[in-house]
Amino acid sequence: MTTDVARLERFVGLSLRIGVTTSSAALALGLVLAIFGDDVAAAALLNAGVLILLLTPVARVLISIIEYARERDWMFVALTCVVLVELMASAVAALIFNRQVK
Amino acid sequence: MPTVTPALASIIFVAGVFAGGLGGLLGLGGGIFLVPFLNLALGLPFPAAAAISLTTVIATSSSVSAARSKNQVINLRLGMLLEVATAAGSLLGGVTAQLVATTTLQRLFGLAVTAVALMTMARLNRRNVILDPTMDTGLLGGRFFENESRAVVSYRIKRLPLALVASFIAGNLSSLLGIGGGIIKVPVLNAWCGMPLRAAAATSAFMIGVTATAGAVIYYGHGQLVPVLAAAAVLGVQLGSWGGLHFGVHAPVKWLKVLMAFVLLVVAVMMFIKAR
Repeated sequence: MTTDVARLERFVGLSLRIGVTTSSAALALGLVLAIFGDDVAAAALLNAGVLILLLTPVARVLISIIEYARERDWMFVALTCVVLVELMASAVAALIFNRQVK
Repeated sequence: MPTVTPALASIIFVAGVFAGGLGGLLGLGGGIFLVPFLNLALGLPFPAAAAISLTTVIATSSSVSAARSKNQVINLRLGMLLEVATAAGSLLGGVTAQLVATTTLQRLFGLAVTAVALMTMARLNRRNVILDPTMDTGLLGGRFFENESRAVVSYRIKRLPLALVASFIAGNLSSLLGIGGGIIKVPVLNAWCGMPLRAAAATSAFMIGVTATAGAVIYYGHGQLVPVLAAAAVLGVQLGSWGGLHFGVHAPVKWLKVLMAFVLLVVAVMMFIKAR
């Protein structure tokens, strides 16, 4: 049990670190390009950075589901699946209620 | 919406450094300082300010939790259970934020900030009870090494329904107002649910990544998140909170809290005036 908790902690920590590092790098590079006027490349990098940032917690939830399933902890598989569904629902809500900036 | 210029991005970067630094010193995300600055001082629409702040919340949550993930101070099981409630609250808040008037949001922000200020003043000298390290921690409790007492401390979770309700409300306010929501969860988990302050703060910081994502996705889908400004704020807050955490060890936290309460009350008054 203890080793499994340590394993989950390690994977969760790793996914968060990778996500925040790559998104920060993309955002920093995008910001530099935006200042030097390369708008197309800048926009691509900035949007990629924001998307990676938004996907990092989603990836962390996915990894938790896999790890809890491996431990056969079905109660927590179910709970983390609910969290994933809620995150998907917010993406759906964003598309349905699509309005422009006031 | 002001025009996006390198000057505006630079100002937001610097604001992020300050918000993140102050947040790091006080154990907050910094959104509570960033949102009013972007909305009141720079004139960004409230949803744009909240959206930028939420991206900084995700970044702070991810980097802080990655750094803390080895020493078991984050209660993963409790965090993932409470996320069910906090993400539901956040989803609902993100949808309602699109339907209610900006003045309503500003009044709500004013109220929330006043509550935080009063709570900070009331908890100036609060300390924690340390429990027997050998006791049974139950299904959701935890055990970790606490630096202050140089010992392994353990705790049980009490009043779980209350923790779920607090998480739901925190998630709701998070996406409505662009803050992390730790300011609501941490005191509840600490004062009523039996969690030591460090574990409560670490678990809350872990959860707010998911909370803020549920809210930020909605703003992003609506085109209310300006990526270049979010980039400036995220990088600023990352730098600031790193600084705040590293240099904050010897800071006079008590006086910082008094200062923070004062700043927050000023922010509350400004929000109420703006919303009139």
